[in-house]
Amino acid sequence: MTLPDHAPVRHKRKRQAFPLVLVGPAVFMLLLVGLFPLIYSVIVSFQGLTMTDEDTSFQGIANYAQLFHDQRLWESIFHTVLITVIALPLELVFGLMMALLLLEPIRGRQVFVALLVLPTMISPIVAGATWRLLFDNHFGPLNQIIGWIAGHPTPLLWTVVPDLVYPSILICEIWQWTPFMFLLLLAALSGVDRSAGEAAEIDGASYWQRLWHIELPSIAPVMTVAILIRALDLARVFDVVWALTKGGPGTMTETVSIYAYVQGFQQFETSYTAAISFLIIALLSVLVAAAVRKVEFVR
Amino acid sequence: MQVLKSALLAGARLAAAAVVGLAITSAAMAQSAADRAVEAAKKYSGQTITIVWEAGLQSLDPLNFSGPKWEKLTGVKIKVIEVPTAEMFTKILQEHRAGSGAYDALNVIPSWMPDLAAAGALEPLDSWIDKFGYRDELKDIAPVFRDNWMKVGSKIFGLPDDGDVFIMYYRKDIFADPALRAAFKGKFNREMDVPKTWPDFAEVGAFLTEKLGPKTYGAAFFRDAPYGQFMFQERFRNEGGKFFDADTMKATVNSDIGVKALAGMKAENKFMPPGVETWGFVENLAAFASGQTAMTISWPPYGRWTAGYGTDEKVMSWVPKTQIAGKVGYALPPGGHPELAAGFSLSVASGSKNKEAAYLFIQWLNSREISTERVQIPYTLRDPFRENHYSDPVYLSRWPDAKDYLATLKLASVSGLLDLSIIQTDKYEEALRQGISRLWAGDDPKAIADKIASQWDAITQKVGVEKQKAAYADWAGKSAAYPH
Repeated sequence: MTLPDHAPVRHKRKRQAFPLVLVGPAVFMLLLVGLFPLIYSVIVSFQGLTMTDEDTSFQGIANYAQLFHDQRLWESIFHTVLITVIALPLELVFGLMMALLLLEPIRGRQVFVALLVLPTMISPIVAGATWRLLFDNHFGPLNQIIGWIAGHPTPLLWTVVPDLVYPSILICEIWQWTPFMFLLLLAALSGVDRSAGEAAEIDGASYWQRLWHIELPSIAPVMTVAILIRALDLARVFDVVWALTKGGPGTMTETVSIYAYVQGFQQFETSYTAAISFLIIALLSVLVAAAVRKVEFVR
Repeated sequence: MQVLKSALLAGARLAAAAVVGLAITSAAMAQSAADRAVEAAKKYSGQTITIVWEAGLQSLDPLNFSGPKWEKLTGVKIKVIEVPTAEMFTKILQEHRAGSGAYDALNVIPSWMPDLAAAGALEPLDSWIDKFGYRDELKDIAPVFRDNWMKVGSKIFGLPDDGDVFIMYYRKDIFADPALRAAFKGKFNREMDVPKTWPDFAEVGAFLTEKLGPKTYGAAFFRDAPYGQFMFQERFRNEGGKFFDADTMKATVNSDIGVKALAGMKAENKFMPPGVETWGFVENLAAFASGQTAMTISWPPYGRWTAGYGTDEKVMSWVPKTQIAGKVGYALPPGGHPELAAGFSLSVASGSKNKEAAYLFIQWLNSREISTERVQIPYTLRDPFRENHYSDPVYLSRWPDAKDYLATLKLASVSGLLDLSIIQTDKYEEALRQGISRLWAGDDPKAIADKIASQWDAITQKVGVEKQKAAYADWAGKSAAYPH
């Protein structure tokens, strides 16, 4: 009688375990830094934790119930949506126009592209602070230029007067992020097969017809991803608004990220802020799911 | 006989020991509080004390002056953690909650003390004050600071260390101008004096703008909401307002007085420079120092810098150069009860692993001898807060009008008003800040006051009416909560 040789089985198991050993630490770290805080935040969102009160007893769904009665929260969501629905289409249109303009080889194209994407390299808080100086009613060049055109001093209070605060935020936001759209769309347009457009041109299609029926459909997946990325960015917009208005006057330009920051780090409503965060996650998840479906539809 | 001899010898020894002991104690007590702190701290030589200090100019005090000096005297190193004012409360509380023991000594804005003490972040100082004989020197601290910025309940949690107070600065040459005085008298049938009431201020300010503008405006203040809310707190109480009904804790900030104060602030902007609504500390200073405005209200550094005191130092290069040195007069703001806006007290962190060493450092900093030097360092922004600071011969001779400046600060140190300081004060101040920014945006003062009151009521409900009522009673019971 001979005993079965288990060596091949052991060897197979070792081979199967080896990748797990390699990947395991990374997965563990990801779970530690990603999943643990998430689970902990869920727990905190059901407590009544504030920075000044050590009571960690569970409050049931009180924090989540409060979300529905918190007028300031819903106003901040509305402000966020308002900025998004105005800034996003404008960034897309301007970005597309710039991409189409620089699609054809022109002298100094590379220099133009490099210069145009510079604003995206600046930290948003720096961009906001810079625009705050540009908007300064006293020392800012913007009012001076307007004054020269108007022929008299125009001390416009861009970050104070209700009619001007949103335009000032949108100008800064669009200035900084249109180049991002431009860069993605330029890359996508550069990859479009020219032969279909040339054939259509021979058949008598106009520029707009070629753009609308050939080029835009060709770059639609990239465009959708670009819109999604910017929409997510805008949904959590903080820095620019904070630097320009701090959410004021009153709470007129307070975005949901600013509101969460104020609740969490100025007013120390830790548990309630966790609940706000999960509301934001839920809302953004719906947005992302819809966008992903759109990408698949386009593909 | 032998027994009697032994008893006599023992008595003599006891008496001698008592005399020697008394002599040693007297010698020790003859030392200043600063010397006692230094002697006691020598046993901690080689250790490091970490202190939280306001970022910017303020922190140059421990970095350049007091820290190195303390190390030289005691061998104890000082590590300074610079934190922007707006983040100090959060950082202190976060470290306390984390139990890191990262901070030993703290700079604390007194209005935060109830929250920090309730959270257990501050160590009571009473036992060390007695142990190191500091109680007598505490009596020298000017009344408003001493009686209001040290305690929560009956325990001492902070040593008042910065005499922050709003005073009025005005152009003496403009107020002395015979033509302007005559024109004012002709129009209003009274002398053009430095305003003592807000209606006076509105008249004088508008008149000066009419006569001297746009080169020079009657007045300007910092109007940015974080500063503006201090000015509202001051004005509201000078006009007779009370923040709450002490029985019900219902907010009364929307009373007629509150609406009048907001409306007055808004109306005054009309005779101030365009865009004053956005002005903060530096913009307002730049305007006054350059002669663009005739009156302003601010913290004490304005008085020193517009006199040109210390502004030639490299670290002060950002301070606008004064064009009005020798022309600045000092007075209490209209109403006569200036806001003790912000300020700093020195505390010991409860999580510190070097509590006694930390205490000894803050006693030394705060002592009569060392604080008198510190309040005269031009770049540290520490303002006079002890009785001897106002009469220090060296300080009195710092610039020609220093005596008037110190005399006005001394008056303010008697009549000043505390910032509101109850549980979760920042939430109440946040509502005020929002209200002020809406005021500049053009909203109706009555609607703003009502909104602030409703926000305050909601905060009070959340904190707990009875709990907040007790905290308010404690605060309102202090001598400088309301004008007397």
